[in-house]
Amino acid sequence: MEVDMTVQGFDRIVPKESSLRLIADSVSFGEGPVWNKRTQELFWVNIVGDSIWKWKEGVGKTQVMNPSYKADGMTFDQEGRLVVAGWSWRRVWRLEHDGSITTLCSEFDGKTLNSPNDIVVKSDGSIYFTDPTGGLYNVEMHGNDIQRYIDYNGVYRISPDGNTTLVTKDFTYPNGLAFNADESLLYINDSRDDLINVFDVNVDGSIKNGRLFYKLIGREPGVADGMKVDIEGNVYCTGPAGIHVISPKGDLLGRINIPGHSTNLCFGDHDWKGLYVTTYDSVFKVRIGVAGIAVW
Amino acid sequence: MTWNFEKVYGGSSRPLGGLAWDGQRMLVTDINDGTLIAFDPINNKSEVIRRHLNRVNGIAFGDDGALYGCQEGSRRVIRMLDDGSATITTTQIHGETHNHPHLLVVDKKGAIWFSDIYQAVKASGPQIFPYLNHQSILKLTRESRPRAHWHIDRVTIDTISPTGLALSVDEKTLYVSENNLEHDGIRELRAYPILENGQLGLYRVLHSFGKDSYGVHRGITGMCVDQSGNIFACAGSLQNGPGPMIYIFSPQGVVLGAHPFPVDMPINCAFGDEDQKTLYVSCSNGELYRVKSTQYKGHILHTKKSK
Repeated sequence: MEVDMTVQGFDRIVPKESSLRLIADSVSFGEGPVWNKRTQELFWVNIVGDSIWKWKEGVGKTQVMNPSYKADGMTFDQEGRLVVAGWSWRRVWRLEHDGSITTLCSEFDGKTLNSPNDIVVKSDGSIYFTDPTGGLYNVEMHGNDIQRYIDYNGVYRISPDGNTTLVTKDFTYPNGLAFNADESLLYINDSRDDLINVFDVNVDGSIKNGRLFYKLIGREPGVADGMKVDIEGNVYCTGPAGIHVISPKGDLLGRINIPGHSTNLCFGDHDWKGLYVTTYDSVFKVRIGVAGIAVW
Repeated sequence: MTWNFEKVYGGSSRPLGGLAWDGQRMLVTDINDGTLIAFDPINNKSEVIRRHLNRVNGIAFGDDGALYGCQEGSRRVIRMLDDGSATITTTQIHGETHNHPHLLVVDKKGAIWFSDIYQAVKASGPQIFPYLNHQSILKLTRESRPRAHWHIDRVTIDTISPTGLALSVDEKTLYVSENNLEHDGIRELRAYPILENGQLGLYRVLHSFGKDSYGVHRGITGMCVDQSGNIFACAGSLQNGPGPMIYIFSPQGVVLGAHPFPVDMPINCAFGDEDQKTLYVSCSNGELYRVKSTQYKGHILHTKKSK
């Protein structure tokens, strides 16, 4: 497996003997990877294929849901329910344990959301999601209503009691978002402006003191899209060539080269040291040396 | 008779796109701004009536009173409803996503004929949907209820760069402008007979545009018809040839008129106003012009009130 632009010591994060493993091919716009630690399964979506899939070691892949209403980012909440950024369905929804679907948020300030793209659940149960326009405008992404109503591309927070507030509307195209381990920092990236900003998180869940954290540079395929943080505070973000691994100070530590165009990533395995990456057409896995932040 | 073109809207330098008379106002798209503008001839005022259109170019009302638009930025023909919402038609022909819809016309039965072309400006999202291997006129037809699904048929099999299109009043002829601006490209106005089975017969060329040492003469970008069946077409540029022009052709291709246009690159034209005798012209410089009280009465099949 290839890495590049590395600094000394990067092999502690991505050991030299690590290899890139193909988990699934024939994927049609993979996204939304998330690990279920109770069942040791990887979940992801095929956006164009309009389906949710899961994969387990020794078992292989199984379709979980079809149609998935052009679902995008996914995570698990504190009760192990799949929480989904519903993209072309223009809502954030939750898959209940009995298989039913609950809509958590479909509008803000009386207006239908753009198209929720990525999502993260904080330990207090609040849900943060980005709401750019891709699920409205992108080719072959069709909802029931494709008119955009909200003038900005916001980031929102759904509080544990269900109220939605605007976290920020200062991004051109907010996409991936992730907390650090103690949830004092929230990272939000922007696919158009090729950057990651970091914010301090207030007690009430709002954010402040936004500043540039990292600027993505490179001509290879890939943009700032999915993003996660490990337990040491290193930030993993999709970008040109694959996954950019960035120190807590915002310095590039190295790039993990992934074939094609990476869309998102998650940590998994029993020790959270499996790095799973979705691309336009595949799902890959790399074993790394540092554990990611556990989900659920 | 000399036509007096009067500027009624403009200021931005962004190109305007398609036009549609809604029964009271002339609608025009500001493609790059993603807005739909309505010009009211009663008070001469314009306003933005819809936003966030992601590069809608050609527009036309359907037999259902909805406004259909060629959403170039999303490679689909959309249906804009009066309540402000919008839905899609369908985007695939034989399982493949069509190109960028450009301009469209709706026939008496509500079928949508549109030019489907390549564009330098990419559509939104991952570039994972290849273009069709042809640029053609396609036809969207809605099946009868309760299915009411849209499907697409390819109509022309011999076009290279079709841009403007229009239907004759009796809907037995499809007019298509080939506008290939490459040095060896063809720029001509074609009349295709529409056969009983819905397919097209062999076309006749009604008008050809040339080239010279200064380059190719820009052909027809947009056109419309009047109730007598005459064809009104925007063509030409300041760079060469006879210049920017609004042509009037008889159904046989006789040039009935050629009105020099005051600014470069007229793009589209459509009849409007209560008497249906005002010809509106949108331009690539962002301006909308009109010429009132022409001797022609426009063929306006559907408006906002059509049901």
